[in-house]
Amino acid sequence: MMNRTLSRKLLGSMCGISNPRLSFAQSAVNTVQREKELIKSRELEKDEPRPLYMDFQATTPMDPRVLDAMLPYQVNYYGNPHSRTHAYGWESESAMEKARKQVADLIGADPREIVFTSGATESNNMSIKGVARFYKAKKKHIVTTQTEHKCVLDSCRIMEAEGFDVTYLPVKNNGLIDLKQLEETIRPDTSLVSIMTVNNEIGVKQPIKEIGHLCRSKNVFFHTDAAQAVGKIPINVNDWKVDLMSISGHKLYGPKGIGALYLRRRPRIRIEPLQSGGGQERGLRSGTVPTPLAVGLGAACEIAQQELEYDHKHVTVLANRLVQKIMAAIPDVVLNGDPDQRYPGCVNLSFAYVEGESLLMALKDVALSSGSACTSASLEPSYVLRAIGTDEDLAHSSIRFGIGRFTTEDEVDYTVEKCVQQVKRLREMSPLWEMVQEGIDIKSIKWTQH
Amino acid sequence: MAASAAVRSAVSLTQRFVRVSPDCSICPLYRLNACTGATDGFTAPSRRLRTSIGVWQSGDSSSPEEEERVVNVVYIDRCGQRIPVQARAGENALHLAHKHGVDLEGACEASLACSTCHVYVSSEHYEKLPEPEEREDDMLDMAPMLQENSRLGCQIVLTPELDGMELTLPKVTRNFYVDGHVPKPH
Repeated sequence: MMNRTLSRKLLGSMCGISNPRLSFAQSAVNTVQREKELIKSRELEKDEPRPLYMDFQATTPMDPRVLDAMLPYQVNYYGNPHSRTHAYGWESESAMEKARKQVADLIGADPREIVFTSGATESNNMSIKGVARFYKAKKKHIVTTQTEHKCVLDSCRIMEAEGFDVTYLPVKNNGLIDLKQLEETIRPDTSLVSIMTVNNEIGVKQPIKEIGHLCRSKNVFFHTDAAQAVGKIPINVNDWKVDLMSISGHKLYGPKGIGALYLRRRPRIRIEPLQSGGGQERGLRSGTVPTPLAVGLGAACEIAQQELEYDHKHVTVLANRLVQKIMAAIPDVVLNGDPDQRYPGCVNLSFAYVEGESLLMALKDVALSSGSACTSASLEPSYVLRAIGTDEDLAHSSIRFGIGRFTTEDEVDYTVEKCVQQVKRLREMSPLWEMVQEGIDIKSIKWTQH
Repeated sequence: MAASAAVRSAVSLTQRFVRVSPDCSICPLYRLNACTGATDGFTAPSRRLRTSIGVWQSGDSSSPEEEERVVNVVYIDRCGQRIPVQARAGENALHLAHKHGVDLEGACEASLACSTCHVYVSSEHYEKLPEPEEREDDMLDMAPMLQENSRLGCQIVLTPELDGMELTLPKVTRNFYVDGHVPKPH
């Protein structure tokens, strides 16, 4: 429907007939805008239909039940939870402690092991910098993977600048790490191993239980960034022998601006706090805990625990539908990441001979991303796809489809239909596709520089 | 401190008139886990002043078996000054510090309710100390500038194998007296 309006405007401006709804000047402007052809950020106009949201890894809408839980704490029970002398403080504190228990129950932890933070980025920073600095007297080595989230990799780079040794483990072509390689990499002076549970770009699920047992046997602390996994797959920190875990609120239908860090009590792990102050949250993260947000996170965790199995089934069915329909309709589509060891809701497909950005632009009424949200502004192709050995041209052609609790079958069908249609159209225009159809092997071509 | 002193005086007041077996469940000392257990069943508790700081301090150890129980400890205070101290086995590191004028603050008087007696233990002796119990670890978590060899001074009981131990006072405690003031022991 949008295409029709655009073409009508174009036609009007080209023939010099001004569209009755637009002035002549405005239609001229529209032509110029269309000529630029970039994904320009443009806010939706009033009453304009909103795109379908298929980017659940970037963020998730807040579940209305979470909003219901939060509202009283915004306007009524607004006390500071650390005020010890009046009822406003006491009721706020008890709400915060209730939320802490809800978060702990979801991952199988004790409430005293949960520290509220501003999000998984802060939790990751606290874990890596905190553990490394605390144990730096004797332990100088950190192990992580090449597919971690940017906050983990950046924290590790800062630690390298501070004099630590960091090993960035490569991953296999399916995105999983090699356990033997991890075992060989761990040294006597390794203080921390940090490996994320579910990757945010390709959806691959690492063998966390095996890694946890390995680290425990070697007396090394194990941190996992579980932002994309909490509330989506069953987690038990004791079964998995995890020492630190990062949790993000807005990835599990909770509010943005809150997260948590799980820190094991037995055997106790200590960290050097990043944020100094009045000693709140066991001295590890000073600052007033935002009660409404904490309550929201707690409610989101409780809902996730109750609906985990149902959501997982729902997402699996829809994801399989998406992938099978696309692959049946068009050839040369690659699913990035291991097909079995994955969270089904994160589908990363590479469409050969089609440029990712142009496909995204063509799918104007579906909100998608190529790679993760943190790399969508830059022009470099995703480092995750590079780490799993994807060729650069395929890396540029990848799109990430995110499916969640509120995705419907109709949305998936519409997305598939549009995607197939646009890929076919773009391939028609692609010279590479033409060459492949003629039987030329693209890889044998020597491209010249102009 | 005032609260526990009040409790102590209240208990001794009631027990002055009691000659039968004391009912532990109603005693506030028992409820606060601060019961020293000195009342043995069916006799009325003695009314003499009971404090946790040893009032009778013997000077030098004269007998040979006492000499074996001497433990030499060095306190390194906040200015870096070394204070060597001779102690006897079984003594508590916090009370020892107070006895010798070391500025180690013990706000809760060894009742595991604060983190002000936080000390760094010399690494060779750190392993010889028993594992901290969970309550000590919880209180220790609250202390600023923790290190791997941190312990609460009030939980360190001296034994002969800890001879030569060095206890370094950290630069700060949970109190925000940035002018360097350290409250005196009560």
